[in-house]
Amino acid sequence: MPSSISSSGGSRMPSSQAFTIAARVIQQLVRDRRTLALILVVPLVVMTLIGLSFPEGSVLDYIAPALLATLALFFSFLLAGISFLRERSQGTMERLMVSPVSRGDIVVGYLFGFFIFALTQTLIILLFTIYVLDVHYYGDLWQIFIFQIVVITGAVNLGIFTSTFARNEFQMVQFIPLIILPQVFLCGVLWPVEQMPDYLQWLSAILPLTYAVDGLRDIMLGGKSLIDVGIELAILAGFAVLISTLAALTLRRGAAD
Amino acid sequence: MPEEEFTGQAVEVAQVSFKYNSLKALDGLSLQVPRGVSFGLLGPNGAGKTTLIRLLVGLLRPGAGTIRILGQRPSRKMAHLIGYMPQLHSLYAELSIIQNVDFFARIYRLTDKAERARRVEAAIRLVDMWTRRNDAVQKLSGGMKQRVSLACAIVHNPPLLFLDEPTVGLDPELRVTFWEHFAGLTKQGATLIISSHTMDDAVHCDYLAFMRDGKVIARGSPGDLKQATGRPEATLEDAFLHFVQRGQQNAI
Ligand SMILES: Nc1ncnc2c1ncn2[C@@H]1O[C@H](COP(=O)(O)OP(=O)(O)O)[C@@H](O)[C@H]1O
Ligand SMILES: [Mg+2]
Repeated sequence: MPSSISSSGGSRMPSSQAFTIAARVIQQLVRDRRTLALILVVPLVVMTLIGLSFPEGSVLDYIAPALLATLALFFSFLLAGISFLRERSQGTMERLMVSPVSRGDIVVGYLFGFFIFALTQTLIILLFTIYVLDVHYYGDLWQIFIFQIVVITGAVNLGIFTSTFARNEFQMVQFIPLIILPQVFLCGVLWPVEQMPDYLQWLSAILPLTYAVDGLRDIMLGGKSLIDVGIELAILAGFAVLISTLAALTLRRGAAD
Repeated sequence: MPEEEFTGQAVEVAQVSFKYNSLKALDGLSLQVPRGVSFGLLGPNGAGKTTLIRLLVGLLRPGAGTIRILGQRPSRKMAHLIGYMPQLHSLYAELSIIQNVDFFARIYRLTDKAERARRVEAAIRLVDMWTRRNDAVQKLSGGMKQRVSLACAIVHNPPLLFLDEPTVGLDPELRVTFWEHFAGLTKQGATLIISSHTMDDAVHCDYLAFMRDGKVIARGSPGDLKQATGRPEATLEDAFLHFVQRGQQNAI
C-alpha cells in the first residue's frame, strides 16, 4: 500500500496546505479590524489598569508573567473556537472535508495562524511592561516564546474541541466562565495557589494554566531556563497532545453532523 | 460489491438507506450515473437530494447499501477528482471573492502560481464576478454568493461535480449561462450531478432521476420520462405527477 493512503492524517508532516489554511486564518483576522484591535489593545488596557492600581510595581512583576499566559490562553481559545464554529456553521468546513486537505493540516494550519497573533500579543505585553511600566525581567525572549507556543498549542486545540459543543457564537462565549474563568482564579494568576484550601489546590493541579503560570514566572522572575521548567513544559505539551487528539477526532469525514 | 466489478459508471448507488436519528431520509435508494452526462436529481424539498449528495461526496456514511464514485468508495484519496457546491453558499464572509476562490484553488493543490492565477480568473469570470473580485463576500447578494460558490467548486476542473441546487436565486439570464457552461463541461467529459426542485432546470439535463420520500421513483432522459405518461403534450411536471401517482397505486 502506498503511504499516501493515510486517512488518519494527524501523524503526517504538515504539508503546504497547512500554510494555506494558516494564511487564510491570518487574512480573516486582518480583514476583521475590530477583532484585530481587540487582540492588540486589550492587553495594553489590562496592563495599564494593573500598573495604575499598584504603583509600587512588585505586584505588576508578579502578575505580568501570569497575564502573558492567561491572555494567550484566553484569546487563542476564544478566537480559534469561534473561527472553527463559523467554519462549521457557514458550511466551509463541509467544503474542506470534501477536499484533499487532511484533518491534521487543518489543525496545524489554525495553530500556525494563531501563533502569529498570540506571539505578537506576548511581545506587545512584554515591551509595554518593560519600557512603559518599567518592570524588569530575566529570561530570554526566545525562551518565553517557546514556552508560549506550547501554551497556545493547547489553547487553540481546546478552542477547536470546545467549539464542537457550541451551536453558535453566543454559546461559545458561554464557555468562557466555564473554562477560562476558573483557571484565572484557581491557577495562581492573582494569588498563590498555596493560599487556597486543599481541595482547590488539587483542582488547580489538573488545570493547565497552573503550569503555564508557574513556568513563565520561573523563567521571567526566577531567571530559570526552559530545562529548569521542563516538568511544566512536559505537562503542558502532554495536555496539548491529548486535547489535539480529541480535536482531530471531532473532525471526522463521514461525521459532519 | 468488490471494486473489480466496476462497470465504468461515474456513480453507483445500491440499496442505500440513511437515517437522521429516527427520520429515514433515504430508503433503499439505487441509482447509476454514466460518465460524461449532466444528471439531474429532481424532487420536492425533503425528498433527500441533499442527503444523497452528502453521502456521495463522503460527508455522510450510509446506514445500509453501497456507494461507488468512479469505481471507489468515497474517500480523501480521490477528493481531487470531485467538485462540490453545497446547498448553502459556503464561503468565508470576511474574505474577498478572489481570496475565497484562490484559497480553494490552493486547497486543491494548484501549486503552480501562474496556472492557479489563470484558473482563478477563469472561474470568477465564468460566474461574471470579475469586476467585483476584491469585494468582501459578506457585501454580496444571495445570488452573487451562489455564483462565487460555484466558482470555488469548479476552480480545480474536477471530472465529477456535485452541485446542490446551484441555480437557486439566479436570474433567468444567468441561469441560461450556467446551463451553457454545464453543457460545455460535459462535452469535455465531466460528469455533473445537479439537484433541483424546479423543472426549469430539468429540461437542461441529459438524464433525470425523480426523487420523493428518499426513493428514486423514475429515471430516464427528459424525453423518455415525458413519453412514459402516454400523452404527447405532457410536460416534466406532468411526468413527475404521473410517477408519483403510479407509485401510490403500487403501494395500495
Ligand atoms: N441534519 C439533519 N438532521 C435531521 N434531519 C435532517 C437533516 N438534514 C435533512 N434532514 C431531513 O431529511 C429529509 C431529507 O432532507 P434533504 O436531504 O435535505 O432533502 P432535499 O435536499 O431534497 O430538500 C428531510 O425530511 C429533512 O427534514
Ligand atoms: Mg436540499
